[in-house]
Amino acid sequence: MNHSINRVVVVGGGTAGWLSAGIIAAEHYSSQNDFELYLIESPDIPTIGVGEGTWPSMRSTLKKMGISETDFFRECSASFKQGTQFYNWTYGKGETYSHPFTAPHHFNDKNLAPHWQTIREETPFADAVCPQMPLINNQLAPKDITTPEYAFNVNYGYHLDAGKFAELLRKHCVKQLGVKHISANMTAINSTEEGDIQSIETDSSGTIEGDLFIDCSGTRALLIGEHFKIPTLSKKKYLFNDSALAAQVAYETAEDPIQSCTLSTAQSAGWIWDIGLPTRRGIGHVYSSQYNSEENARAELLAYIKDTAGEKAAEKASIRKITFDPGHREKFWHKNCVAIGMSAGFIEPLEASALVLVELSAAMVAEQLPANRKIMDIVAKRFNEKFSYRWNRIIDFIKLHYILSKRADTAYWVDNCRADSVPESLQELIDIWHYQVPWHRDCYHIDEMFPSASFQYVLYGMDFKTQINPMSRRADREAGMQAQAMFVENSKIAQRLAASMPTNRELINKIYKYGLQKI
Amino acid sequence: MSNYVVLSPETHHDTRVLTEPGKTQADVVQFAMTHPLEFRNIQACYPIFFSKSRDTGEFFPLALLGFEKNENLFITQGQWHASYIPMMIERQPFLVGYQQTADENPNPVVSIDINSPKISDNEGQRLFEGNKPTDYMKGIMAKLEALHQGHEHGKGFISALTDNDLLEPFSLDITLNNGTSNQLMGFYTINEHKLLELDGDTLANFNQKGYLQPIYMAVASYARIRDLIDKKNALI
Repeated sequence: MNHSINRVVVVGGGTAGWLSAGIIAAEHYSSQNDFELYLIESPDIPTIGVGEGTWPSMRSTLKKMGISETDFFRECSASFKQGTQFYNWTYGKGETYSHPFTAPHHFNDKNLAPHWQTIREETPFADAVCPQMPLINNQLAPKDITTPEYAFNVNYGYHLDAGKFAELLRKHCVKQLGVKHISANMTAINSTEEGDIQSIETDSSGTIEGDLFIDCSGTRALLIGEHFKIPTLSKKKYLFNDSALAAQVAYETAEDPIQSCTLSTAQSAGWIWDIGLPTRRGIGHVYSSQYNSEENARAELLAYIKDTAGEKAAEKASIRKITFDPGHREKFWHKNCVAIGMSAGFIEPLEASALVLVELSAAMVAEQLPANRKIMDIVAKRFNEKFSYRWNRIIDFIKLHYILSKRADTAYWVDNCRADSVPESLQELIDIWHYQVPWHRDCYHIDEMFPSASFQYVLYGMDFKTQINPMSRRADREAGMQAQAMFVENSKIAQRLAASMPTNRELINKIYKYGLQKI
Repeated sequence: MSNYVVLSPETHHDTRVLTEPGKTQADVVQFAMTHPLEFRNIQACYPIFFSKSRDTGEFFPLALLGFEKNENLFITQGQWHASYIPMMIERQPFLVGYQQTADENPNPVVSIDINSPKISDNEGQRLFEGNKPTDYMKGIMAKLEALHQGHEHGKGFISALTDNDLLEPFSLDITLNNGTSNQLMGFYTINEHKLLELDGDTLANFNQKGYLQPIYMAVASYARIRDLIDKKNALI
């Protein structure tokens, strides 16, 4: 029980597998130690390739792994993601709002949200407080060709081609980070007397021994599910969506603008994502099979494609169906096995939480890689507590979008607001926010998934009313004057940025041609 | 706005160019692009730094002439006071453009900026005598050729610097005699720490390609910053 942890074995080679391998190897691989990382990938099972949107955290993840951002853009059909734009979520009448990645102006020390209440009729919240909005609205880039790799003028993450991304990560892991790639099928699991996984039998590469096993086998969950029988906690009572229809749609011309955000358009019983890569758009409809038929969901998807890409594109679209049970494992780290990626859980991609959870999980394994088997159980307990908390926060945050909707056109939207479908933790926050605006105090943890800025963008983007009079307290009057000056300042910065940034497509073409500088 | 047209004896037989450096607004610039084959001459008068092209993000070396946009501290009363004038200044208002041809290779042609303040009808150097270029024009063509070669060599030089992380951002706070302070930002310089860490093979390769000498010339040229500060102080 006291042996040291030197050999990590990742089972599964999709984005989750290679990303986890890269993050862990980048932290530990060295000629000075005995650390080894194996990745077993089945040559027969294609990867699912969902999760084409990332959070800004992906920039530092890639940088830490030593990947050049130029290579990443060139090889993964990547584009810039500056946030999410929502259509028809509040009333279903053509309205829109944005959740940009850049926090409100002066967010560290000044809460502009109370002061915005006095101008809410004139200016949408995000436009009033965030300098990123004109870039988003005009398909402009968050930086220019002189901005170094991974640096930005306004905050951004990525849209990417998941298949190509896994390929780039594989090359980098094998060539630069000493990861040993084993292309074989798993045939059996050998256990120790204590019930740990001792080794994995493969059909063509013999027995692979390991001290720690990472289950990245996707929904099959070969280790955490099939072997250890850790159950999944269904979250369907909160998040109704359990099906998706995904399509790839060509641009009409090679010069069509590339959107700066993931577009999310609410439908009768779900919503449609629209992700712009340089090469194509990824468009899909995620919906609840309980409230929508596949036939109707397909018709809604095709209507969207027809509206936004033309009749031809709708005719040509090949549509793939994915079903899932929204939820996550009761625990993620059991004995000497950690589940990362879809083996750990899956919920609708409304806030692109899939890849960021992989990054966070692998980073915690990398940072806290137990020195020996004896302390692994303690690390496992902490990991499980942390990630159960994180899953719940993601569920709360996604659910927030549904309960703020005033749509009542279908049972889906009405039932989403039923009290028994709202997590208690979220209901408490809503009760408070009727009288206080979200602020740093609402976040309990230093590494909270969603900062209070995100809650502000969604609440006030969706017409939520907080009953406060920002001028009622004496101390607030001066703050009110300051706030007005900050709104003006924000608008000036926004105009300056919009006048100087290239379009997404211009910048991506320049990156192909010249590359970004490292400094 | 510059407006470059192809130079020809037919069109430009009466055109003249004001050649005295510093005489026109065209020379009132904060820096002049340079290339490593010119560093020996540049470092005698000007500090050499690096900047990024607004258009491509690629690095290029430059001779610093002032601390602000449109400030050239070497010019006083229409005269450029220095023993050496950067080639990129001297070549004005000409450059080598490329004419699209039927076959693959574009044809290099000398072009002239007809909007340049250096162009005059009644004073300055003539470009042609009859159909033949004047000695002045021949000198310009030789300079353009040398610039072309210098910039080609410079591309390899820049790649060698960036591939070995030999450039680093640089900012300088300058306090003038009257107490006002200026900050010089957005330029890059040789990372001397990294330079000292280069291994023997890399150094030998740099030396063989003609990169090593200009690197040290750039390092030595920083001392010229003092001259610029003195010139700036003299103005206040």
